[in-house]
Amino acid sequence: MTQLAVDHAVAGFQPAGWGAALFRRPALLYLPALLFLGAFFLIPLGLIAWMSFTEPTAGLGNYLAFFESGRSLRILLNTVLTAAIVTVCALALAYPVAYVAATKPGTYANILLLVVALSFWTNFLVRTYAWMVIFSNGGPAHSLLAFLGWSPPPRLLYTSFASTLAMVQMLAPLMVFMLYAVMRRIDQALLRAAGSLGATPARAFVTVFLPLSTPGVINGVTLVFITCMGFYVTPILIGSPRDMMISGLIAEQLEQLVDFGGASASSVILLVFTLALFSIYSSIFDIEKIWTR
Amino acid sequence: MPARILAFITANFLFWPTLIVVPMSFSSAASLQFPPPGYWLGYYQAFFTSPNWTGPLFNSLTIALMTTVMTLILATPAAFALVRLSFFGKRAFRLLTLMPLLVPHIVLALAYYIYFGEIGLLQTRLAVSLAHVCLTIPIAVLILTAALQSFDTNLERAAASLGANPLASFRTVTLPVMMPAFLVAAFFTFINSFDESVIGLFISGRDAATLPRQMFNSFSMDADPVIAAASSILFGAVLACVGAVAAARLVKSRFGASRSPV
Repeated sequence: MTQLAVDHAVAGFQPAGWGAALFRRPALLYLPALLFLGAFFLIPLGLIAWMSFTEPTAGLGNYLAFFESGRSLRILLNTVLTAAIVTVCALALAYPVAYVAATKPGTYANILLLVVALSFWTNFLVRTYAWMVIFSNGGPAHSLLAFLGWSPPPRLLYTSFASTLAMVQMLAPLMVFMLYAVMRRIDQALLRAAGSLGATPARAFVTVFLPLSTPGVINGVTLVFITCMGFYVTPILIGSPRDMMISGLIAEQLEQLVDFGGASASSVILLVFTLALFSIYSSIFDIEKIWTR
Repeated sequence: MPARILAFITANFLFWPTLIVVPMSFSSAASLQFPPPGYWLGYYQAFFTSPNWTGPLFNSLTIALMTTVMTLILATPAAFALVRLSFFGKRAFRLLTLMPLLVPHIVLALAYYIYFGEIGLLQTRLAVSLAHVCLTIPIAVLILTAALQSFDTNLERAAASLGANPLASFRTVTLPVMMPAFLVAAFFTFINSFDESVIGLFISGRDAATLPRQMFNSFSMDADPVIAAASSILFGAVLACVGAVAAARLVKSRFGASRSPV
């Protein structure tokens, strides 16, 4: 039967009852999720936006306090800088892994993907704990520095170095997956064609593979940067209390100062920053592609 | 070739540091001492017998289960509406279902702390579940819409032409075909809820404490060495899951290869 014939055949069996009502009124299908997200996602976010302007007094006071304080500006700058460093390092580490996994299928590629998956699925707290052990006084990293003759070895735990390195290790797997999703669709014949036209493998990589992999790089960089900007547990547990990130500031305002207005304003600033980056992304690409490409 | 060497370096950097939690969990020292002075199983026993740990484990499992059920109930019809129907505001609805992925967890943690405080749900398992459902709806919707897009609707037409009403065709045709996608969505939802640290940390409180909250507190306050056992158990669970998936793929590819004509 052709498609048309099937359609005609089905026309005689127009669905009846409540099942059909669903398809005449799509609202019945999407309304539950819409109401739920409205009640438990949009309203809570709206509430902090509201509180950032009204607690303790109405006005822009919380935002003025944020932008007039050298400390909070330093924290904001430090957050952006840390996220940038982590993103660049994660990209540098992840690119070769994704490249090998996507272009040289075989046992080695499978083992690489397995290691990345294992790391990706391991809880952030578990991985943070592992770095705590490694960087602790008398721990492996400390002992190694002492063995190499750095005496006494510098304190490693509770430094920006420790938390940055740990965040690179935690976010690199995400970067690998973002790159791999794009790279495995690159037609290998293009590279062979470049070779047959006289390009060296290095030149074929730079002129053919690298440009074709840019969508993956952009996806990975966007997601890793934004995830890192909002990272809380790792910088708090192993980072330096002096070089706080904005998530740490929000928690401090909430838990120690009980300053709901200030915490809300810091959150809104982080949220606006994040959404601005995503809207730049979505003005060029379809935002959905970032997860499904 | 240099790419393989660089990839090898990264793989080692990703793999080995985390593995350190395993020897730590058998350590007989009550601190972060590495290498451990001696080995025993005491921390595993403590993990499974101390209410400080069994309580949060139970809470996290309950919350993840409630989250999975609620997420599937909400995300399934939403995914059908997004793939099969056109309606006013569909683009905006699509964006709304993805929005929770864009918002930093610390921002949501603050928002839920204030919101659930206002409505009197703070420090309950229900509140943590409701928050987690918001985070996992995007994941379930992405998985289910991807599966629905590749679903051949002629199968449903065929069922209808054979006299099945929409409910019967959903039950006997759509559901079985979509089952793998539902299972994947449920699995991802469960893991995401179980692993979620930041929101649980702020809103679960003492009574509904999640396992990540208990872990966080034992790092930052009392340095409870049971944390090493807890970490190893979580790591082992991931290892088992990833290993099982890899083994299944391997068996499938071997089996498939032996039957392929070439």
